[in-house]
Amino acid sequence: MSSHSNQDSNQFYYEGDQSKLYSGILAHHSDINSDESKAQVKKIWKIFWILLAITIVEVFIGMKLSHSVSKALIAFVFLGLTILKAGYIVAVFMHLGDEFKGFMITVLVPLVLFVWFIIAFLADGGFWLHMNDHSPARSHTTQQVAN
Amino acid sequence: MSHATTTTAQENLWGGGRSPYNVSYGKIMIWFFLLSDALTFGAFLISYGTTRFFSSVWPDANTVFKSFPFAGEHANLPLLFVSLMTFILIMSSVTMVLAVHAGHYNDKKSVTKWLLWTIVGGIAFLGCQAWEWTHLASECGGLWGCFTDVNTPVAEFQRFFDPTSSVVKNVFATDPLVAMQSTHNFFNYFFTITGFHGGHVTSGVIFNILILVRTVNGTYEQRGHYEMVEKIGLYWHFVDLVWVFVFTCFYLL
Repeated sequence: MSSHSNQDSNQFYYEGDQSKLYSGILAHHSDINSDESKAQVKKIWKIFWILLAITIVEVFIGMKLSHSVSKALIAFVFLGLTILKAGYIVAVFMHLGDEFKGFMITVLVPLVLFVWFIIAFLADGGFWLHMNDHSPARSHTTQQVAN
Repeated sequence: MSHATTTTAQENLWGGGRSPYNVSYGKIMIWFFLLSDALTFGAFLISYGTTRFFSSVWPDANTVFKSFPFAGEHANLPLLFVSLMTFILIMSSVTMVLAVHAGHYNDKKSVTKWLLWTIVGGIAFLGCQAWEWTHLASECGGLWGCFTDVNTPVAEFQRFFDPTSSVVKNVFATDPLVAMQSTHNFFNYFFTITGFHGGHVTSGVIFNILILVRTVNGTYEQRGHYEMVEKIGLYWHFVDLVWVFVFTCFYLL
C-alpha cells in the first residue's frame, strides 16, 4: 500500500494527513483486479443500466401517454422517477451512501427547504392563474379555461 | 484508521485531532459548494415552475423538441435528440465514477483512460447543446427576448403548442397574446437554465482537462492519492444530477 502523504511536503499542510480521512470503500486499495474492486465496478454499471431504463420509461411516458392520462398523475410519476434517479446518482456515483451517516444528514437536511419552496411557489403560481383568469381584461378566457 | 467502534472513541469524535465525518476539508467544501449550487438551480427551476403554473397555456415539449440533426426540416422525432444528450451525460458520469474508482486504487493508467472518456462525453454533450440552441434560435429568431412584438403573426408561435388541446384552441381563438407571452417565457427560461447548466458542463470539462494533465504528469501519484479526481468527480456528477431535473422540467412535464 502506498503512503498516503508525504508529511514534509506542503500538500500535508494543505490537505491534512489523508491517511486519517480514508476508510471503508474510500480507502486506498492496492489491487484494481481484486474481487472487491470488480464488485464495485459491477455495481457502477448496474446503476448505469437502471438510470438508462428509467430514462427510457420516462421518454416513453412523455411521448405516448402525456396526452391521454391525467396531467397530475403524469407529473407525480415523473417527479418520483426523477428523485429515484437523483438518489442513485448521489448515493452510488457520488458515494454519499458510503459516507458517515452524520455527513449524509448534514448534506441532505438543507435540501428539505425545497419541499417548502415548491409548495409555496406553486401555490403562488396557482393564485396568479386564478387572478389572470378572473381579471376583467381577460374575462373572455375564463369560460374556456373553466371548460 | 479504523472506524470508531467503542463508546469511548465515539465520545472523542468531536474532540479534535481527527475528522469526525472521516471526510477531508476539501471534500466537505465541495459538498457545501454543490449544496449552494443546488439551491441556485432549484431557484431557477421553481421560478420556471411558478411561471408555468400561472400561464393558462404552455408550449408543448413534444412539439418544440421534435427535431434531430440531419433529419430535415419536417422531422417529427419528439424527445429523441434530448434522450441522446441524456444518454451521453449519464455515460460520462459512469466513466467519471470509474476514474474515481481507479483513483482509489492508485491506478494512473485507468484514471487517465476514464478521464479522457469523460472529457469526450462532456464535449459531445456540449456539441449537442450547441446544435439544439442554434436550431431553436433559428426557430424563434434569437435567443433571449423573442416573441415580444404584439404584431407577430400567430402562426409563428402557434406551432409550438399542442394543436389537439381544447384549452390551447380556445386561447388562440380568443386571445393569442396570452400564448405569445407563454412562448416568450418558455424560451427565456429554456435558454437561461440550459445555458447555466451548459456553463457548468463547460467548466466541468475544463476541470477534467486540468486533472487529466496533472494525472498524466504524475502529480497525484506523487501525492499518494487521487482525491482531486474525486472532488472534480463530485462536481461532474452534480452536473449530471442537475440535468436529470432539467430534463424532467423542460422536456417531459
